[in-house]
This record gives sequence, C-alpha cells and structure tokens, in this order.
Amino acid sequence: MDVEARKRSLRYFFAKIVEPLGYKFTPDEELADFLLEQESHLEEAHGSPFCPCQGRTQNHAENMQIVCPCIPFHRDHFDYMKRCWCGLFVHKDVTDADSLSQIPYADFTKARDDARGSGDDR
Amino acid sequence: MKNVLMYTLSTCPWCRKTKKYFTDHNIPFQFVDYDLQTAEEQEKIELEMKKRGGALSFPWVLIGDDVVVGWNPAKYDELMALSKTK
Repeated sequence: MDVEARKRSLRYFFAKIVEPLGYKFTPDEELADFLLEQESHLEEAHGSPFCPCQGRTQNHAENMQIVCPCIPFHRDHFDYMKRCWCGLFVHKDVTDADSLSQIPYADFTKARDDARGSGDDR
Repeated sequence: MKNVLMYTLSTCPWCRKTKKYFTDHNIPFQFVDYDLQTAEEQEKIELEMKKRGGALSFPWVLIGDDVVVGWNPAKYDELMALSKTK
C-alpha cells in the first residue's frame, strides 16, 4: 500500500463528510498526519480506517461506530468537546486546537444531566 | 507513591504523550497496549474499563484508585501531588 497516497485520499474524502457536520481538520498538521497514517495502517489491517484512539471489540456493530469520521455516532459528546476523541477534527469555529481537551464520556453525560437538572421544567 | 497502570493503544498519539509524561516525571508505571493483546486479554481489559465507568477510549490511566480517561496532565499532576502528601 502507498501510505502517502492513502492519506491524501482519506483527507479528501473525510473533508467532504465533516464539513457539513460543522467540523474541519485540526490545524495541528503534525497530529493530523500521524493520525491519518495510523488510520491507513488500521484500514489495511482491519478493513476500515478505525479511530486510532478508541478500542475495537468483538462486536462488529460497536466497531462500526468508531470508523473515521465517527462524529455522527458521538455527536453530542464531540460537540461538547469541540473536537473528536482523537483530535483529527475540531469544530469549524476553533482557532486554538491546543486549548481543547479530551473529556471522558462519563464526565460529559454528568455535565449534561446536571445542566438539565438545573434548568427549567421541560 | 501511588501505583500507576495504564491501558493504551499503540496507534494513539495521546497514549504516547501520557507515557512520556510519566517517564519525564520519573514516575514508574505499567502499561498494556490493548490493541496488541489477544482477544481474550482484550475482553478482560474491556470489562475492567467498562466496569469502572469508561468506554473503550484511550488513554485510560489508573492512579491509585482513581481512573483518568483521556490525556489530562493537570489531573495526573493533581493525583500524583496528592499521593506525595500521604
């Protein structure tokens, strides 16, 4: 496999998918390049460009939810962080990607539930 | 000093940063690259991570009895500083 060519292809296809979702590639080119390279290798080994920072299991349906770009499957969580878990994509309005952090899903759901609890009756 | 165990992925840049953080701070740690384990070992790790309230998101760091999911040097600092006062 020509890894560099595959990285260019993934970048081309991913941009078309994430743009309408309100995301863009991280401005950190070194990080983007590393992640795309890992995804190229994962695709070659396992058939799909899985997220390099989330684990695959024996459950095929679960695994399909971490194929990049996995934003639609984790939309609320990623919108809250303004980035995806691995950081390949950030919200379009983000100018300083370094200021964003990985927030565990459990922390996100707690914050969301607390906000709902403190709000007006729905 | 608290024991540090981390579950990581060999493909994850944040996992590499996490290992580097503990190495640079001279904090001994154990790590297991989840993706390089057998299916049986992966299943055990998956169960442990999910039992402790996590998804299969990496890095996953157990510091003493506290779990930190994701690259979070401020939290590592906090938990390791706490351990120094005990």
